[in-house]
Amino acid sequence: MAQILQYLANGLVFSSIIILGSIGLSLVYSIADFANFAHGDTMTLGAYGAFVAFGVFGGLGGTVLGLPIGFFLSLAVGMALAAVVAVLTHILVYKPLDTDSIGLLITSIGVAFVYRAVLQATFGTDFLQYDISRSGPIPVLLDTLNVAVTQRDVAIIVSAAVLVAGLHLLLQRTTLGRKMRATADNPDLARVSGIRTDRVILVMWVVGSALAAAGGVFLALYSQLDPRIGFNILLVVFAAVILGGIGSVYGAMLGGLLIGMLHELTPLLSDVGLPVSNAYAPAVAFVIMVAVLLVRPRGIAGDMT
Amino acid sequence: MSTLDVGTYSPREKGVVGLLGALAALLLVAVLTGFLAPAYLLYLIGLSAMYMLLSMGLNVQWGYGGMINFSVAAFFGLGAYGTALLTASGSPISGGVSPVIALFGGLGLAAVLAVIIGYPTLKLRDDYLAIASLGLAEVVRIFILNESQWTAGSAGLTGIPLFFSDWPVLGDLTYPYVFNVGGTPVFNMSQSVVTSLLNVVLVTVIVAAVYLFLRRIHQSPWGRVLRTIRTDEDLAETLGKNTFAFKMQAFVIGSLIMALAGVFYSHLVLFVSPQDLQPITTFYVWVAVILGGTGSDRGAMLGGFTIVAIQQGTRFLTDTGALPIGAAPLRLMLVGLLIIFIVRLRPEGILPPERELIWPDSMGGGRDE
Repeated sequence: MAQILQYLANGLVFSSIIILGSIGLSLVYSIADFANFAHGDTMTLGAYGAFVAFGVFGGLGGTVLGLPIGFFLSLAVGMALAAVVAVLTHILVYKPLDTDSIGLLITSIGVAFVYRAVLQATFGTDFLQYDISRSGPIPVLLDTLNVAVTQRDVAIIVSAAVLVAGLHLLLQRTTLGRKMRATADNPDLARVSGIRTDRVILVMWVVGSALAAAGGVFLALYSQLDPRIGFNILLVVFAAVILGGIGSVYGAMLGGLLIGMLHELTPLLSDVGLPVSNAYAPAVAFVIMVAVLLVRPRGIAGDMT
Repeated sequence: MSTLDVGTYSPREKGVVGLLGALAALLLVAVLTGFLAPAYLLYLIGLSAMYMLLSMGLNVQWGYGGMINFSVAAFFGLGAYGTALLTASGSPISGGVSPVIALFGGLGLAAVLAVIIGYPTLKLRDDYLAIASLGLAEVVRIFILNESQWTAGSAGLTGIPLFFSDWPVLGDLTYPYVFNVGGTPVFNMSQSVVTSLLNVVLVTVIVAAVYLFLRRIHQSPWGRVLRTIRTDEDLAETLGKNTFAFKMQAFVIGSLIMALAGVFYSHLVLFVSPQDLQPITTFYVWVAVILGGTGSDRGAMLGGFTIVAIQQGTRFLTDTGALPIGAAPLRLMLVGLLIIFIVRLRPEGILPPERELIWPDSMGGGRDE
């Protein structure tokens, strides 16, 4: 029992990261209308941005959720950097293109390579870590539930929840959010209704990339940082988006939660006698993705925006 | 004279031929002046031909049939692993099988996987097919990486023999190999040159056979149905064609050609590892196809050549130490920029299909179909 609770706790942390990644991917998919293969490398970009910023702000005193305040400043820097790069990429690369969604998809692979090449040339391929000391499991949870959860895990979950709640308020309570939902739902109709969809698309890039960057930062905090972390997780994020239903932000959140959980629950399969090791966790996610595409191509949440 | 007339070449085609001729001359000079080892040049030719095979295989799927297959690396890897597991001395399964027989092991594995991946995915929308096939290719890579009792895992397979190692004459050559004419030694070649030469002969035969085969099927009624499917699948369906069956056939044929490239790679490099199944291999082949011209087999060949030029050229560039960037990021950067610029400036590729789409009958004076 404690074992299952432990898997669920791990799943919650991993889900938080996947959810942050999948929201942006889903936004781009619905508004710009292509599968953005550079999204994973946008996550990596944010993580490196925060890494550099942490070198500057890391010394700031005080802690929130067990992490230095400087870390949260660096997180913001990483998010801002990813947003700026994504907007520039949109203006310089995607917008002038006269091509279909497949042309855009292939172009985004090129963009991903350029991002990664720059990071690799600047930082090398070695593993890096944010210079924050790791603390052991929180004693209370370990004693009462026999579940090992660190302060860092809690910080990731809470931060992701705050960001997701912020996005929810933006989408539901502001005019900008209504315009975004309208554009995602039907870009042509939104345009003829007088919404400046060009601006909405820019906002979408900003929001999507900033959240992706946050996901990248937490991923690097959770494990390690290297130029491939984002790309390595991209397909899992795609699985989440497809599971939730393309074009649905809330579907992406739900899909992210489920895929993240399933990813960390993989060891259960060997507990029940199926010899599937942890290394197959991403493979399980991909197989689920293909199964969902076959049975319900619109995802479990359908067109709920 | 229309620009599509059989037998005449457009200025662009002449330009490409001229450029390739100049490059070939440059390489020849480099060899003659001792700047480039002959065996290495032959190795490069073999590698280029291998990428040509991969591009032609993808071209059957994407160029002829419009299927976005992002699992090229998996089929390449199964061809390579299929033959390596059967022939290599370091194989955890058996090893020691003749490469000529093992070849069919690689092809068989690829054919089975093509049906397993194709069956669920070929009905999907374009972009879903891309994501799903990339995901399934990753499943294959993860499997090979982790099931080390069958695949030797991350260590990879060593001890793969040369393709001609057990052939009567070719396998028994002694080195340095001296070829005599009337008692006078004419050739005096080291082992590396002889084996590289044999590899080039082998791959040239394969590429030529595949090219002729593809040209034949592309011009056949089968090829025409496939082109119709690519343009308008519903139309093909309305005309009473079983589009799924046609796509599946094209998918399997393309995958077998990719596996053939993998088999050749195994016996060229004599080492395979899960590293060869990374998605980057798939993307290299995509660059080759869209650069050369989607649907054009000559373009696919040009693209395959370009990929090797980028892979090996970056090594030379960075070896001089004049660049402030490593070979790996430079290569990634060049490939990335190449993708962005092709889609932006020349989406139809350098050598788009022109004559390929015309069957000789319709031009008058051509041979009968």
